[in-house]
Order: sequence, then C-alpha cells, then structure tokens
Amino acid sequence: MRRFAVLVRSAALEALAEPLSAILFLVALVAVHVLPSFHFHQFGEPGRLPRECGFSALLVFGLAFATSAAVHAVGRELESGTAAMALSRPVPRPLFFCAKVAGVFAALALFGAAVACATVLSVASSEMGRLVTNGGVYVWGPGIVSGAGLTLFAFALAALANWRWRVRFCVAACLLMAVAQPVALVAVAGLVKIPFEWGLLPALGVLAAGCAALVAMAGACAVVLRPAAVAAALFVAVALSFLHPVRAVLPDIQRFWLVDSFAGGGTASVPDMLAAGASGVFLVAFWLVAGSALLSRKEIS
Amino acid sequence: MSEPIVKMEGVHKTFRDFWLRPVAEAVRGVDLTVEKGDVFGLLGPNGSGKSTTIKMILGLLAPTSGSISLFGLPPRSRAARARIGYLPELSYLHPFLTARETVRYYAGLSALSRREAVARTDELLARVGLSDVANRAVGGFSKGMARRVALAASLVSRPELLILDEPTSGLDPIGTREVKDLIGALARDGVTVLMTSHLLGDTEDVCSKIAILSRGKVAACGRTSELLTRTGDARFTIEGLSDEDAKALAAELSARYGKPVAFDHPSVPLEKFFAEAVGAARG
Repeated sequence: MRRFAVLVRSAALEALAEPLSAILFLVALVAVHVLPSFHFHQFGEPGRLPRECGFSALLVFGLAFATSAAVHAVGRELESGTAAMALSRPVPRPLFFCAKVAGVFAALALFGAAVACATVLSVASSEMGRLVTNGGVYVWGPGIVSGAGLTLFAFALAALANWRWRVRFCVAACLLMAVAQPVALVAVAGLVKIPFEWGLLPALGVLAAGCAALVAMAGACAVVLRPAAVAAALFVAVALSFLHPVRAVLPDIQRFWLVDSFAGGGTASVPDMLAAGASGVFLVAFWLVAGSALLSRKEIS
Repeated sequence: MSEPIVKMEGVHKTFRDFWLRPVAEAVRGVDLTVEKGDVFGLLGPNGSGKSTTIKMILGLLAPTSGSISLFGLPPRSRAARARIGYLPELSYLHPFLTARETVRYYAGLSALSRREAVARTDELLARVGLSDVANRAVGGFSKGMARRVALAASLVSRPELLILDEPTSGLDPIGTREVKDLIGALARDGVTVLMTSHLLGDTEDVCSKIAILSRGKVAACGRTSELLTRTGDARFTIEGLSDEDAKALAAELSARYGKPVAFDHPSVPLEKFFAEAVGAARG
C-alpha cells in the first residue's frame, strides 16, 4: 500500500507540475466564469451557454491535460529509464501501472471538481441575471467577479509563493485555483439567495468517468506506443467507439455526455447516470488490466 | 565456497524486431557466478552485452534461453529485488523532485517506514555530500550531482547486492575517488557489489573479481589479482636508491641470473596526485 501511495503521489505531482496543466486550469476556469457576460448568446435560455461550455471544458481540456499526463507517467517513464529504476525495486509491474494511472486520475479529479464548481457558479450567475431583470438581459456581476477574480488571485498567489518560498509554481497554481472554486461558490451562496443547479455535479462526474476511461486507455497504449501513436490511437478509438462490436471496450463519449438532459429546465435521469457511470468503471477496469498485462510482458531496455 | 548471490548459466539474449525476426544477439551463453562479499567487475567494450546482462539480472529483460537466479530466486521475484540496489548507467531521475524527495521516493518504493525513510535519506545525502542542496530540484543539477543523488537512492534500502552500471560516469576525479572509497566501505560491511565499467583503472582499484565480456561472450573471468599478476616475473622497490646504484644493482643481477634486468622509478597515480593538489589548494 505504501508503494502504491508513493507512486500515485509522484504521478499526480508530475501531472500538475507540467506548465501545460497550469495553463489549461487557468484558461478553462476563467473561460467558464466569464461566460455569463456573453448575454446575447444564450442559446434560447440563460445558463445553457455556461453549462454546455463547462461540460466541454471538462471534456476537451480535461482530456488534453490527463491523456498527456498519462502518456508522460507511463510512456515517458519507460523511455527515460525512471521506470527501470522503480521496477528494479520490489514493485510489481501491475501495481506500477495502476498507481501511475491512478495518480493521473487524482489530477483529473482535481480538475473535474474545479470545473464542476465553476460551472455550477457560472450557470447560477446566468440565471441570476434573468431573475434580476425578470426575463430581460442583465449581466449579474458578483458571480463572475468572485469566480474569475478568485481564480486569477489564486494564480497570482502561486507566483508569489514560488518567488517567496520556492514552491513548485505549476503545482501550487493548479491546487490554489482548484481550491478557489468551492470558496467562490460558498462565498456567493452566502451572500445572496441564488438558484444553484446541483444536478450538474453528478452529470459532470459521469463525464469525468468517461475521461478517466480514455486516460486509462491512453496509459495502456503508452506502454507499447510512442506519444504520437497514442494520440492517433485515441482518435481512432473515439471515432470507432459507436461501432457495435468494439463499443464494449472503447469509450463512447456520447454515452457520458448528459448535458442535453438539462435543456429547458430538465435533469439527467438517475438510471442514465448509473448506467454511464457503471460503463465508465468497467472501461477503466478493462484498460487497467490490459495496461498491466502489456507492462508485465514488456522488455524494459 | 561462499553462497552464490547471482548465478547465470548458459544465458543467451536475442533482441527481436516487431515481426519477431532476430535483430541482435547481445549475450551468447554467459555463465557467471557472483558470490557473497565479492566486488565483481563486468568489463567490456561498448556493445559487449554488459548492460543487457545487468538488466537480465534485474528482471527488466527476460533471457532468450538459459537460467538466472538472484539469491536463489527468479530475478523478477519481489523477495529477491527487495535485497538489491541499482544504479543505472544514466541517472534517471524525476526533474521536478528535489534531491530529498527523490531519495524518499525510492525509500517508499522499497517500503521503508516513513520515519526510517526520513532518517536514511538525511544520512545518505550527507554521505554523498549533497546535504546543502537537498531541497533543490534535481532537474537543475549537474551530471555529477545527479549521479550522487542516484547513488544515494540505490543505497536507501540497505541492499545486500548493489548493482552499479558505470558508477563513476560523469564524476570528477575527487567524486570518482569518493565513490571508489564508498564501494570499498560497503564491501567491508559485507555488501556484494556487481559493477560494470569501461574505466579499467577504476575496476582494478576496487574489484576483487572481474569478467571480461566481448561480443556477448565471457572472454576471461576470475580473481583480479590472479588474472593480472605475472607470477613468472618479480619487481622490487628500494627506497632512497640513486640512479648509479640502481644501474650497478641491475648489472649485478643480470650477470648473476643471465637474464636482462630492467628498473624504473615508481610514479604516483595521477588520481592521487590530483586529489592531493586540489586538497592543498583548498587548504
């Protein structure tokens, strides 16, 4: 268990230490927070634009961040020789693979939780604009200012901590920006009575499970393929995932995309979320087993 | 005879391409035995199969045929790997971790308790002379400093067998001397050392046994002293003898035994001279 925890921690730290991670956290979170200010583009209902963009941010930015982290954590370690050093210790190869991918899951969960909080606050800010004007158009500032402002403040705080105490800037920035999201949510909820759409959280969790399945698949592919080939394999997998024979083992993103259920004041049904969540768990388990088997057979030269 | 720590019998290793066609036969029928307490040097030119042999012993590569045992167990057994430390040819380290975190990471992988890991890390960083930079990220270290961190990481689990692939690579002469002294100290503490090197002087200084690999085969193997000593010749050192006296003595010995007698003046090894000169300059 200690070995597993050590490997998970190092993989999560490695994922967050990449400059790309801090950039993706910043861009995704600030973008989601400022969306309610685009009040002329509401797609027919307030809250729809931030809601759809929140889901898109988790899918696109989360996948970019987590799959590159998985390729780093598995493929680059095998190429650079750090995996050889770790595997010369009493570390079973399946444990090494699962722990590395679990570390990336932890970083993805942090990103997913931050985007989920930002999305709920952003949707609420859009709704608040509609409530204040009784159906008219109005940009409700407190939500945008506290969300985007706290995110930028967290980023600046990380820079200050790096200058003052030499802490790792990218790791500190990601962690502080993630912490800033629930703080902004709680602060706004404490200030005004605002309608929060909490049902978005489990739906975003389901989407995160779909992303996790793709991350596990990327990790398994990275055992035997180079990074560019892993990207191509993921693209082909997503493109073919609707085909019936391979659907069972390829993550079909459509299955995890539940945002449409929220259109017109609707909500995602519990059976749909449970089915998609179970599919995500199965796919993650399948690709973890596949990756472990591939690594166990691999010659590490 | 001591207990064999590493035993290789008839080991072959053939690398294959994607289509399973043989590409290179790196190791061809190697038989080796490393016994407890040995400082065993594996020598050979580039491409002779040294690193492949080491990786098969570590269980990172599987032999195509033949058998390898580590402490009487298969190389991939966790029980066997719990008893070894490994320093690879290049110091593969995570650049975002500090020196202290790196050594603790490997302590964690060796399942040392948190308290033991902390104490052992501080002790080893002091031993390799990196206490002052323990909190700096290793990504900014010089090659020699990274080598010291990797060496500390290889020692963190108090291994019974230490496998060193080119241990002095990237080190300055003083660092090289310190590593050789460390290997000597570990051997005195009962640690078995298996090292590869192409620096013959380093190997000769520290290894009690050597094997020379050439094109994947063992070209020579045995005790260093037995392999290098020419028992048919004799050499004397007489302190404070002038050139004239030495010439006279050589002529006398030559006349007495009817064979040519050569003499020279002993020189200090450059490594020792360098260490003394740098030490004197530093005061």
